[in-house]
Formats: sequence, C-alpha cells, structure tokens
Amino acid sequence: MNGWHGKILRVNLSSESFAIEKVDAQTAKDYLGGRGWAIRYLYDEVDPQIDPLSPANKLIFATGPLTGTPAPTGNRYMVITKSPLTGALTNSNSGGVFPTEMKWTGFDVFIFEGEAPSLVYLWVDEDNIEIRSAEHLRGKSVPETTDLLLAETDPKAKVACIGPAGERLVKIATIMNDKHRAAARSGVGAVMGSKNLKAVVVRGKKTPTLAHPEEMKSLCMQIQKEVGHDIKTVGSSLREFGTAYVPQVTNELGILPTRNFKTGVFEGVDNIDGETLKEKYLIRPKPCFKCPIACGRDTQVNVPGYEGSGEGPEYETIGAIGSACGIDNLAAITKANYLCNELGIDTISAGMTIASAMEMYEDGVIPESDIGKPLKFGDGDTLIEMISKIGYRDGFGDLLADGSYNLASHYGHPEYSISAKKLEFPGYDPRGSQGMGLLYATSNIGASHMAGDIAYSEVFGVPEKLDPLTIDQKPELVKLFQDIFAVIDAVGLCVFLAVRYMLEADMSLLPRRLTKVMNYATGAEYDEDSILEAGERIFNLERLFLLKAGFTQKEDTLPPRMLSEPMPEGPAKGKVVELDKMLPKFYEVRGWDSEGVPSVEKLVSLDIEHEK
Amino acid sequence: MRVTIKLLAIYRSKLPPGTEGNTCEIDLPPDTKVEIVLKQFDIENDNSSVILVNGHAVKPGQTLQEGDVLCAFPAIAGG
Repeated sequence: MNGWHGKILRVNLSSESFAIEKVDAQTAKDYLGGRGWAIRYLYDEVDPQIDPLSPANKLIFATGPLTGTPAPTGNRYMVITKSPLTGALTNSNSGGVFPTEMKWTGFDVFIFEGEAPSLVYLWVDEDNIEIRSAEHLRGKSVPETTDLLLAETDPKAKVACIGPAGERLVKIATIMNDKHRAAARSGVGAVMGSKNLKAVVVRGKKTPTLAHPEEMKSLCMQIQKEVGHDIKTVGSSLREFGTAYVPQVTNELGILPTRNFKTGVFEGVDNIDGETLKEKYLIRPKPCFKCPIACGRDTQVNVPGYEGSGEGPEYETIGAIGSACGIDNLAAITKANYLCNELGIDTISAGMTIASAMEMYEDGVIPESDIGKPLKFGDGDTLIEMISKIGYRDGFGDLLADGSYNLASHYGHPEYSISAKKLEFPGYDPRGSQGMGLLYATSNIGASHMAGDIAYSEVFGVPEKLDPLTIDQKPELVKLFQDIFAVIDAVGLCVFLAVRYMLEADMSLLPRRLTKVMNYATGAEYDEDSILEAGERIFNLERLFLLKAGFTQKEDTLPPRMLSEPMPEGPAKGKVVELDKMLPKFYEVRGWDSEGVPSVEKLVSLDIEHEK
Repeated sequence: MRVTIKLLAIYRSKLPPGTEGNTCEIDLPPDTKVEIVLKQFDIENDNSSVILVNGHAVKPGQTLQEGDVLCAFPAIAGG
C-alpha cells in the first residue's frame, strides 16, 4: 500500500500480547483511514451497549494516510472509543509530533483491548514491540511521565500518556501527547486508565511510500507557497496571536460563552485576548510537526501565585476556563491550563463543568458545605483549586470529575449542564450561531466544534461569511461540514489548513485538491464525489453505532437555555436556537427517516455493511 | 457623526499609530458608506475580510450611523 502502511498493531492488554494485522484494501479505500477505519473496527468489534470503562471496550489510536507525509499539516491522529462521559462513541483529535512518529513506526493504527493486570506502557520502536511495567509511573504527572519514559526508551521517541486524572477514571480525562497536546474530549483518558495503560511510546523512521511522489511534492510545495504568501502579505493572525485572537471576534458577535452561557458578551474580554497573551506571557509560537501556521503558544507566567510554563491557552480554553467562568485573569486561566495539561484533563469540559457548578452555587442549588467554600463566577483561585481536585477526585472534585451533566443531575437540575449528549459545549453560543446549534445537536460525539465546524462560515468568513442568525441552508451546510470534517479527520490533516487550502484554491467547499493529494499519496483513484461520499459513509456508520448504543432522536437536542431562554444582550439579543425548524430538514438531507435513522437506501448507496 | 472602529487580530496594526487597544473613534460625515471607511483603513473589502457593523454582517452599500461600531478582521479558519 501507499500512503497507508496497511498495518494494524493489535495489543491485548489482558494477556499482554500483540498481533500484527493487514488492512483489507477495499476497507482502506472506503473508510479513508484514521477516524474512518477506527469506526469500522469499533462498529464491528465492540458491542455499543457495553460499559465504556470495562475491558470489553476498545481504545483505538488511528493515523491517516496523509499523517507523516509531506502533506502540509499531515500531523494528526485520532483516538476512537466508546466514551465514559457520554455513552456515545467518540473521536478525539490531536496534533504535535507524536502522530507523525506513530505513523513512522510502520503501523497506521493501534488497537488496545482488554485490561492489563497492572499498570503498563507500550513501547513501539518499529518492529521491536514491548509491553512494559509502568508501576513506577503511577501517579506521575504528564511531564514527569514523559521525561521518565524518554529516559528509559529513546530520547528521540514520542510519548502519549495519561496523568493522574486518567488513572482515576476522571470522565473528562485526556490523553496527552508531546506533554502539551491533547486528545481531549469525551474522557478518552479514562478509557486508557481503565485498561491500566499509562503510556504509548513510539519511535520510527518508516515514512510511508507514496504512489506519485513527484506530483505530491509539487502540489504540497504549491500549498506551502500559498500559505507563505498569505503570511507575508496579509499576515498570520494564528501565528501572531494563536487562536487566542478569537475571544474578541466571538464577543463582537455576542456569542462568547459567558458565565455558563447565560450571555454571549463578556465585559472582561480585553484582558483575556491574544494581544494580552502575546504582550504578557508568550515566549514563541509553537508549531505541530512541519506546520507552517504555528498556532500553538509556548508561554510562561511569572505572576506570583500563578507561576508556570507550558503551552496555551488556546481559544477554547480561554472561553471555557475564562469567560464561561466569568474569569478575566489571564494568569489564572493560563495556570489552570497548565494544570489541566499536567493532570491530563480536558480544559473545555473542566471549565464548563466548573461554570455549571458556579451557577448552581450562586443559585443555591449546591450548598457551600458540599464544596467546602464559596464557588463564585470570577474566582480564578478557587477554579485552579477545583481543577486539582478533579485530577485527584478529591472532595467535591469527585463530583466535578464526572462532567457537568452528571454533576447537575446529581443535584436534580440537569438543565444547568450546557452540553449536548452530555459533552460540554465549546466556545460558540449557538443562539447567535444557528448552524453551530444544529451541529452540536446532531454531532455523533456530542457538542464538539471539531465535528463539522460551521463557525468557519458563520464566524470566521471561510469560505464565505454566512449570517449566523439565520437558518437558511444551515441543514445542508451542516451536513456538508460534518462530511468534510470526517474526511479531514480520517486522512490525518489539521482542519485549519485543510479547509482554507486543501479543498479548492477559490475557497469553495469542493475537495479537489484534497482528492489530488490523496491520490498522489495512496494511488487509490478517488474523485471529489467518492471522497465526500467516504466522509458521509463514516458519519453514517458512527450514527449506527450511536443508535445501537441506545441513543434516539430525543438526544439530538440542546439544553433548555439554548431552546427557550432568549439571548439577553448583544447582536444575538432575543434569539434562541431554532432547532425544531432545522432538525427535520437535516434528517431529510441526510437521507434519514423522521426519527433520525439512516434509511436502508442510504446505507445501501453508501455500501455500508451494517449488520455484523 | 462619531463612529467606533474596531480592528481585530492582525488588522489591529492598521489602527492609527499610538492607538491603545483595538478601537479608535473617528468623526465622519453623516451617511458615510462602510466601504469608504474600509478604504481609509486599508482594509480589503472582499472575502478576505469579515466586516461587521454592531456585530451584524454588512449589506452592500450600507451607510454608517452615529454611534455605530464598525469591526473588521481577516477571514481565517481558526478557533
């Protein structure tokens, strides 16, 4: 195979053994790789009804055919499993260097099964594969674990690991790679913890062969040149400010999550934006492997009480830990970000869970005696304390560790959880971004912007600016974005560059260039239709898994605040999400019945073998 | 009439030298068209920019009113 290695490393942790398997060529082509291959395996091998933290669940690390190739931003991998936070499937995405190094071991995918009798890590140095004891790493933070593993394997190796949160089955725990990058969402770290797998360490030089290397090189250089030209002429906001420039944008549109999404306008926005971050704490922009954008932030805080260094914060962290908690102290937000990374906790879910707790505390739903102290909006110091408690499931942190929906339900008020399918919202209030509302409600993993970020159009003007307050064409566009993002995830690219440069130079949403790059890499002879159809195939198979897990159309919804509490101020004032008007149309354009079930005709047309 | 110009992300550098923060206020003749002001600040009025007035997308030929906030930032995938 080209692009793909066509090889899976299957690790049975219960028996501490492994097997190497080949991937069938037709499955490889039909499901693209990464997220696509992984859902095919998950669907075929895992009963969707199982307990996500039982040995019956499987944890899949999946790179795409473009990961580790010259394709610009081809440096992503995904973690696919059944989520302990949501009960749905999840696919959690991360960049950095680990994904490329993983691909260069000669395997596209690692599948972890069962549960190790004691804490272990996997060491893959191309064909030398070992399952080693990790008991000496128990309780260690992500940076400590990473450093110790590099010392005992190979200093040039790359590490993905869990921190104390994953070990304690915190349902919002991440899998961190390269110390600071996170496969963050839906509690993938807890699944890794439940398997007694502390870390995965990789080293390799097996770059994938390419079907048409000269053509690949030429097109990739062309794209790099365009990115370089844009950076020179119009400048690169992402390189200069990171995604931290976004709070100003969303605040201007009135959709910056503020105090648990009570409003979309935050009075403290000037204190938490990218300019402030650059002035006060930025050391340098930090790229993923060979990325020309470099949106990552290498930062250091010297403010007394908040000292630390690491990466971040990015926009989503600022939105969730900052404005959603009413906090405008950027030093505290950055410190909280470092702590999440060290303990292995999702910053979005942590921030949004604490935000819901703050609102419940202020409304008298959570008594102070349960928390041990006041927990008010704007209190950055207590937020930092709570994050530490989440990581160790200490005191009130034990309740926070199960995410906002479980927390709010514990107190009899699930409506305080601003989540969809129990996954906490990212940083766009859908009352002022209607397409995002439909996206959150219909995403297979819950409220994730990464599942088809129509904010690109509604907020950022890419490929063109759409009115975020209207519902016109949104069902059609959400479907298209979901399918395109499924493709991007499956092939191993970063959405930032893929949407802007890999689809088509005129910024239309036709994946012409992406199709070419895929053909140059794999030789699989895709056309634009078959590439997009593969995205649709992936999305529909995920939907089938979701339905078999017991989800119905009833879960394709949003919290009451979004559906019946009009936005109180700002440009979106008076708006609620018009989900009832968009959802039936969405089902129709998906080829699903009125209950959100894919029709047999649709499944047949997508060649989905679904009864296995 | 007085309007507020708010330039975000990399467009901040297009504000007058010495401007603190991301906004400045300017005086304009009544009913000045948005495109005139964009030209004044050297902002591309095409799909490479997102232009908002009071947080809403601008309509072609739209004019500004007293107290309006004209906001612009580059169209980029990110967030």
